[in-house]
Amino acid sequence: MSFKKKLWLIFGPVIVAILILLVFLVSPFKLNVNKKILPGASISQSVDVFKGTAIKKAALEKNYVAFMGSSELSRIDPLHPSVLARKYHRSYRPFLLGAAGSQSLSHYWAMQGINRQLKNKKAVFIISPQWFVKKGIDPQAFAYYYSNLQVITWLKTADKSEMDIYAAKRLLQMKNLHSDSIIEDAVERIASGKTLTDIQKTYVDLKYNELSHEDQLFSVLHVNTRTSIIKRQMKQLPDTYNYSKLDKLAYDLGKKNTTNNPFEVDNVFWKKRLKGAYKNLQNEQSDFNYVSSPEYADFQLVLNQFAKNNTNVLFVIPPINKSWAKYTGLSMKMIATFDKKIKYQLKQQGFTNIVDMSKDGSEHYFMQDTIHLGWRGWLKLDKYVDPFLTKKQKTPKFKINNYFYSKNWQNLHGNSLNKVVD
Amino acid sequence: MINMQPYENPEYFLWLSLALLPIIIGLLKGKRWRIYETIVSFAFLFLIFDANKFVQGLALIGYVAFEMCLMFAYFKYRQKRNDTWVFVIAVLLAIFPLVIVKITPVFEHGAASIIGFLGISYLTFKIVGIIMETRDGMIKSLDFLKVLHFILFFPTISSGPIDRYRRFIKDYDTVPSVEKYVNMLGKSVHYIFLGFLYKFILAYYFGSVLLPQVSALALAHGGISWYLVEYMYVYSMDLFFDFAGYSLFAVGTSYAMGIETPMNFNLPFISKNIKDFWNRWHMTLSFWFRDYIYMRLVFFLMKKKLVKNKVNLANLGYLTLFLIMGFWHGVTWYYIVYGLFHACAIIICDVWLRFKKKHRDKIPSNRFTKIFAIFLTFNLVCFSFLIFSGFLNTLFFMKH
Repeated sequence: MSFKKKLWLIFGPVIVAILILLVFLVSPFKLNVNKKILPGASISQSVDVFKGTAIKKAALEKNYVAFMGSSELSRIDPLHPSVLARKYHRSYRPFLLGAAGSQSLSHYWAMQGINRQLKNKKAVFIISPQWFVKKGIDPQAFAYYYSNLQVITWLKTADKSEMDIYAAKRLLQMKNLHSDSIIEDAVERIASGKTLTDIQKTYVDLKYNELSHEDQLFSVLHVNTRTSIIKRQMKQLPDTYNYSKLDKLAYDLGKKNTTNNPFEVDNVFWKKRLKGAYKNLQNEQSDFNYVSSPEYADFQLVLNQFAKNNTNVLFVIPPINKSWAKYTGLSMKMIATFDKKIKYQLKQQGFTNIVDMSKDGSEHYFMQDTIHLGWRGWLKLDKYVDPFLTKKQKTPKFKINNYFYSKNWQNLHGNSLNKVVD
Repeated sequence: MINMQPYENPEYFLWLSLALLPIIIGLLKGKRWRIYETIVSFAFLFLIFDANKFVQGLALIGYVAFEMCLMFAYFKYRQKRNDTWVFVIAVLLAIFPLVIVKITPVFEHGAASIIGFLGISYLTFKIVGIIMETRDGMIKSLDFLKVLHFILFFPTISSGPIDRYRRFIKDYDTVPSVEKYVNMLGKSVHYIFLGFLYKFILAYYFGSVLLPQVSALALAHGGISWYLVEYMYVYSMDLFFDFAGYSLFAVGTSYAMGIETPMNFNLPFISKNIKDFWNRWHMTLSFWFRDYIYMRLVFFLMKKKLVKNKVNLANLGYLTLFLIMGFWHGVTWYYIVYGLFHACAIIICDVWLRFKKKHRDKIPSNRFTKIFAIFLTFNLVCFSFLIFSGFLNTLFFMKH
């Protein structure tokens, strides 16, 4: 065999492999998501689904509605929105976005890539008061839910708007997110109010194709992990929807599952998470404060994006288990101030669909544990969610006010807050 | 500033293949462009130690300057005289920086020494090798640039395989025949692609997907559990595929440069006993320890008639070798126990082999016993890796 032929036998396959890979990664075709995985993906709360776009797009183009939130979404009992929608053949299906640790900033980035699918649609957004801590989102939690695909998609349309500049600045505050210095430079340009260079634009386009294909290939793995749980929960529900009967069922389930503690906290949660520690938690939360936080500006990013997409959103403010709050010394007055502040930010800008459950913390079996909605809480939420999503709603009129990005608003509290809000 | 750690991602291989292309064309034409090779080596070293690794880069320069002086001073001395105490001091001085780097974390609450850098162990092994062979009179000439090229050979700088000076220079001084070089290129491509499978697929799956899950489960359960057993196997697979993948990259890159860097692994998990295992696992390291520590110690003890019994002699050699290996991995109880564990395993293995030799007629040897031997060795090795992983330390002695 000649050397040339031998060399070709060695390097030929390598060259062909590289070419195929390059064509595959860079060319702008699209792999379709198998529709059969959507029911599983919609309840999986998989971080790969959250960080990607392919599955979210495919689902929102069908009858799935984005249910954005955090850890409460994983409290799946028979009254959970995903179970109710399936059991009673609603016209919509919730697509759960978020899990423990996903706060406003994560949601803003996860919306990049589905903005077109959210346009003129409806969504449900559960706001956790616990996000609004002094330091805002934990950078590690943020990194967990953040992906290069989100930022590359965003860079395609980012401009000199207050929203994009603020988002870029926040991104730069989260250290060590990118191993890719070109992306880092591009984000810095946006943060300083400039647009991308031509080289950056080309890079973003090519990188977008590469990352989308990765997402289309890999985010579809391991999504079907929870379907059996939903089916098991559905079996406990009566065949026809009757609110008072369901409320009775929720009450009984709550009673049955909260027998080992005085706080009406779910037995399993108590045993695993609180039993060992609760003695040290007495009065532990008396200095908790959710009134001054960078989270308000991060939340403004989400609102701004919703307004830009003209998405009609039902905002939910969940309660806190009252007997637990009393035990830990959490100030209800502070919670009321938080409630007032967040509602002001919403209403001022035209977000008027708000389910404020913050005063329901003393209802029996409303919470599954300390801060997460459960049985009767989920059911009460359904009373608002179902008509909101199934009936025609007034077109919202948004007027975004950039003041809500300011440090002043983030930290506003006490009398100065009262002056603004009242 | 761009920084590239060896073989860290696909991008690295892109730059690597571009840089290697002229070398490959040259070697195919029967020429070795040494100046270009030096420039490429320097560029890749620079990219490892620049930007935020700058301090390590300075440490490397200081280290190399010190060790070069030492090697050449000893070489010059050795041409005239050959006193043992000078040799001992030369070796002690050569390992001194490494010892400092290994001991610092013990006294500084785990903080790394500022004189450390990526690959210091492997450079030290090569340098001690040179000093020992100079003492033996095996190295007849020492060329400044060639020594530099050998100790700083960029494909193997971070974690070996550990080559020998005379072997390396023989390759470097010659150009392989075209027939031979084409075969080497074939192997090079094969090794690098096998490395992709090992490191980027298998090691990723075991190390980044499975390991965090089993680790969390084992910690949540606490104490001894089935999850701990799972952790043991998953960690062992991760350790092997990660290191073997890296070694394949290093050997593959060397081959493309016309240098036959020795292989580091040879199917270690089909070893029939623990001795066989050390001839298949991290081979260049175990052969280094065998040639430069074990053999020399045994020879010394025999010559001085300090230990007369042959069996005791071997056992003492094993214990010393593995204790040093344990300390080299790091001064923690689990590395040292790992070393002792392997020393004991080899000593027991020797007892068994002697027993087997004596009673050859009575001990069955068939397919079943062979499979059983492999199974037993594999599990013993995995258990030793569980010790090595430090996970038991986290599990039993740390609050989490």
